[in-house]
Amino acid sequence: MQAEETSGEAGGFREETKLTPLHSDQLKVLRIRFALTALAVLAPIALLDLAPLRETALPFGLVPGIVASLALVAVAILPGRRYRAWGYREGPDEILIRSGLLKRVKTVVPFGRVQHIDIAQGPIQRRYGLATLILHTAGTRGAAVPLPGLAQAEAERMRDAIRAQIRQDLL
Amino acid sequence: MSDGAAESRHLHPATLVVRLLKIVPQMLAAFIGLSVAVVKEGFGGALLVAASLLLAGGAFVILAWWRFTYRVEANEIVIEKGVLQRQRRVIPFDRVQDIAIEQPLLARIFGTARVTVETGGSDKEEGRLDMIGLGDARALRDRVRRGKAGAPAVADEAVAPVPAEEPLLFAMDVPRLLLAGLFNFSLVFLAVIGAVLQYLDQLGLVEWNQWFNSERADQALHMATMGTLLMLAVILILAGMVAGIVRMVSTNFGFRLSRTAAGFRRKRGLTTLTDVVIPLRRTQVALIESGPLQRLFGWHSLSFQTLGADRKEGGVQVAAPFARLEELLPILAEAGFPAPPPRAEFRGVPRRALLRRAGPWLALAAIVTGAAFAVEPVAGFGGAALLVLTVTAALRWRKHGHALDDCALFVRHGFFTRRLWIIPFEKAQTISVSRGPLQRPLALASLLVDTAGGSGLYNQAIVDLDARDAERLADRLLALFYPARARARLQPQ
Repeated sequence: MQAEETSGEAGGFREETKLTPLHSDQLKVLRIRFALTALAVLAPIALLDLAPLRETALPFGLVPGIVASLALVAVAILPGRRYRAWGYREGPDEILIRSGLLKRVKTVVPFGRVQHIDIAQGPIQRRYGLATLILHTAGTRGAAVPLPGLAQAEAERMRDAIRAQIRQDLL
Repeated sequence: MSDGAAESRHLHPATLVVRLLKIVPQMLAAFIGLSVAVVKEGFGGALLVAASLLLAGGAFVILAWWRFTYRVEANEIVIEKGVLQRQRRVIPFDRVQDIAIEQPLLARIFGTARVTVETGGSDKEEGRLDMIGLGDARALRDRVRRGKAGAPAVADEAVAPVPAEEPLLFAMDVPRLLLAGLFNFSLVFLAVIGAVLQYLDQLGLVEWNQWFNSERADQALHMATMGTLLMLAVILILAGMVAGIVRMVSTNFGFRLSRTAAGFRRKRGLTTLTDVVIPLRRTQVALIESGPLQRLFGWHSLSFQTLGADRKEGGVQVAAPFARLEELLPILAEAGFPAPPPRAEFRGVPRRALLRRAGPWLALAAIVTGAAFAVEPVAGFGGAALLVLTVTAALRWRKHGHALDDCALFVRHGFFTRRLWIIPFEKAQTISVSRGPLQRPLALASLLVDTAGGSGLYNQAIVDLDARDAERLADRLLALFYPARARARLQPQ
C-alpha cells in the first residue's frame, strides 16, 4: 500500500537538497505583523512619557525614542531572519518542516500519521492570498505542526495530496 | 452475537440515591449563602428556601434520571438523555477502545458500577453510564468485546470468547503492598495541611501571624535542642511512611493484572474498585520507573502509555506498581515490547553537553555567590542551592542515554528517579530535531520521537546529542519507522 522503501531517499533530515522557502509575500506579512507588535508596545510607552515620566528628571522623548529605535532595528532585521528560518520539503511519504529562529526545529511528519488537516488564514495573510497549513497528529508534544506562508491554492493542493495518503486506521 | 433486541433501559435506581446524596452538600452551600440574605425574614423564611431548593434539586435529579436511557443494539450502544433538549448518542462497537468499570464506595454498597465507554473522542462524558448494576456492566463489556470481534473493521482482534479464568500476569499481596507503601514515602500531606491552614487564614478563622512570628520563632529556637529536633524528624518520617502506605494500599489493594483476548485487565482499589482493560493495540510506549531507594533494593514500576485510555493520568496506565525486574520482563514481552538492553549498550551524550546542562546553573551560582560577598550575605544560601542544582544537572547528564535494538528505541532519563522509555519504531507520530540557543554554539541537538497518549509531563527526547549524530539518528529512525509500521499492520495482535 505504502511505499515503504522510498522513504529516506528524498533526503530526510539532512539538507543536501535545498528546502522550499515560503511564498515571498509571507515576508511582507511578517513585516506587517512585527510592525504592528512594535506599535502595540510603543503606544503605551509614549503615553507614559506624556504624563508619569514628566515627574522624573528624564527628558521628554528619551524613553520612547530608545524603545522606538530598538523596535525599528527589530522590525528591520527579525522578519527576514524568521522568514528564512522556515522551509519545507514534500516527500512521497512525509513532509519535513523547518522552523524557528531562537530554537531551530526540523520536524518530519509521515503522511500516514496525519489525523486531520486545517487551513488557517489570518487577516494579514488573507490580503496577500496566503494560508497556513496545519497538520494534526495524535502526538503529545508536537501534535499540531503548522506550515505558514503558502499560496492559498498551494495549501489546498497540499492538503488534498496529503489527505489522499491518510489511512483510516489510527495506528 | 445474541439477539439484537433493543429495549431501552434506565440507570440503576440506586443512582437516584447517590445523586441525591451528592446534591445535598451543594444545596447546603447555596442554602448558607441564601440564608444569610434571608436572615431578616426569620427562621421560617430560611427553612422555606431550603425546602424549596431541595425539592427543586430532587425533582431535577429524578427527571434527569427518568430521561436518561440507554440500550445495547446489535452493533452499537445508544444513549438518550436530556430533560428539555434531548440528545441521542450512538456509539458503534468498533469505535469503542476501552470499557472501564469503576466502583466507588457508594456504588459497592448498592452493587452497582460506573461504566465509561472510551472512544478516543475528546468528550470524556461521551459514553458514561453512572451507574448500572455490576452484572449489567460486566455483561455489557463482554457483549461489546464480542461485538467488536465480529465487526469487520477490527477483524484482527482475537475472536475467541472471553475465557472464564484469565491468565494472571502480576498480583500484589498485602505484604508487598505494605512494602511498596514504605518506599512510597510522601510528605505531600504537609503541603495539604499548609494549604488548608492558609485557606482558613484567608477566611479569618485562623490567625496565621499569631502562630508564626519572630517571638515564637525565638522561643522555638530556644526549645530546639538536639533531642526535640530528632523527635520531630522521627515523627515526620513516620507520618510520611504512614501516608505512603495509606496511599499505596487504597489505590492498589487487591492488584491483579491478567491477560485477556484484547489486552491486559487490571483490577485494584480498596474503597473505589476499578476494573480497566488496557488494549494491547492501543499501547504506545512502555515506561520502567524507579525511585532512588526503590532501585537500591531492586524494585521498579512498569506503566504503558496508551491511546484513548483514561485521560486522568494522561493516558499512562500502571501495569505493575512495585515489582522486581524479572517480574516486569514477562509483562513487557506479553505486551510485545522488547526487554531493555544492558546498561553497557546505552550510548551517552557528548561531554560538551555537560556544559549546556550544568553550565548555566554554575554561572548563576557564581553570580549569586558573588552577590553574597558583595551585598547580601543571605544570598549565600541561594548560591549553595544553585550549586546543588549544578551537581544534579551534571549527574542527570551522566545517566542520560539511548540505545536501539531491532524494534525499538530506548531512552534513559533522570538521576534520582530513573525513567526508561521503550519506544517501538512504529509508534512514532512525528520525529523532530531541535537546536536551542545554548545548543547551537555547542553543535548540539535534541531528538524527539513524539508518541500518542503521553502526558507531556516527562521528557522522552534524547537531549544534547551531537548535532550531526542527531540528524543521522533521526534519519535512521525514520527509515526504520516505515517498515516497522508496515509489519505492525500485517500481523494481528
